[in-house]
Amino acid sequence: MSGSEILSTLLGSEVRGDLLVLFHRNPGLIDTVDGVARRIGRTTVAIISEVRELLVLGVLRQKRIGASEVVFLDRAKDRELLESVANHLKTIRIGEER
Amino acid sequence: MTAARPKAGASGFDQFFSSRAPEGLRVKTGIVELDEMLRGGFMPGDAVMLAGSAGSGKTTLGLQYLVNGVKQGEPGIYVTFEELPDQIYRDAKNFGWDLRKMEEEGNFRVICTSPSLMLESGDGSLLDDVLKEVQPRRLVIDSLSHLEMFVKKDDMRMEAYRIVSYLKTRGISSILLWESPQISGGSYSVTDVGLSFLVDCIVALKPVEIESAMRKALVILKMRGSDHDKRLREFEITPTGVKIESAFTNYEGIISGSPRKIASEKFMDLFRGASEKRK
Repeated sequence: MSGSEILSTLLGSEVRGDLLVLFHRNPGLIDTVDGVARRIGRTTVAIISEVRELLVLGVLRQKRIGASEVVFLDRAKDRELLESVANHLKTIRIGEER
Repeated sequence: MTAARPKAGASGFDQFFSSRAPEGLRVKTGIVELDEMLRGGFMPGDAVMLAGSAGSGKTTLGLQYLVNGVKQGEPGIYVTFEELPDQIYRDAKNFGWDLRKMEEEGNFRVICTSPSLMLESGDGSLLDDVLKEVQPRRLVIDSLSHLEMFVKKDDMRMEAYRIVSYLKTRGISSILLWESPQISGGSYSVTDVGLSFLVDCIVALKPVEIESAMRKALVILKMRGSDHDKRLREFEITPTGVKIESAFTNYEGIISGSPRKIASEKFMDLFRGASEKRK
């Protein structure tokens, strides 16, 4: 995935932005989708598809705890994606300067 | 001196033995006066209950214990059930503790989750991954009293016992925060669900009213296997964290909620008053 595709996916919606802010501010957050929705003041229905996008991208991971499925930040993948985005933005800036 | 940390991926058997501190060593809080009260620090691997009413300084003391542990080469984990835990990073920064930097260095983790998930992870899987990654020597749960909302009163002891056992078998020195219901008044109980017997040490924080001002008192109520300072000491929350002051030697009845000056102090006050009048 290119830097611009990653950027488009990460910031594809306001909800996705809220989710990323939540997990970046609280990188140790481990919770169900219901719990995550509550923490950003939204309903589960409103965020479920956005959470799936971030799971597919790999920035969030999922695991089972007891009877619940929880999501959490994959810090290594998050760093990798942010680096790709940063490199992409640098490329744009260099292109504009020329 | 700390015990050698096991290699990544070490079996539970190896982790169990390598995480044990050599006998005789104490787990220092890093707060000099508190370590003196504890005769050197907590006993390694002990579960400590830190009880106090809302705003008494439990979170600050718990974080300071972990931060000082990291400075001594002992990684730590802070488990919180707060809705918006990013405030913890902000509040810690006010004391000069950069928790995010400590996390980047791999010595520290803030884990934020729901109490129901903590109870649901019967095989300990909620913390397993982060314990393998960080290999902590210290852990703070803020707070155990959050779990009360999700279990029946009779089951609370069992759930608390399960958590304490999980941490002890991994040689982790833990502090479990507990919000005591009483802010002031005649009666004082650490917990109302009978958890005192489960833990090895109990440190209580209590706000006290003395001469129309609210002051904070700290006392060690219990410490298995060690002597400890039995006095109530005043403490303050300063810009660099908790600082323990002198004992409340001039007052009695502080725990009961009716502090009064001791007889000799009253006599001295009368003497001073009479002396002032003669001048």
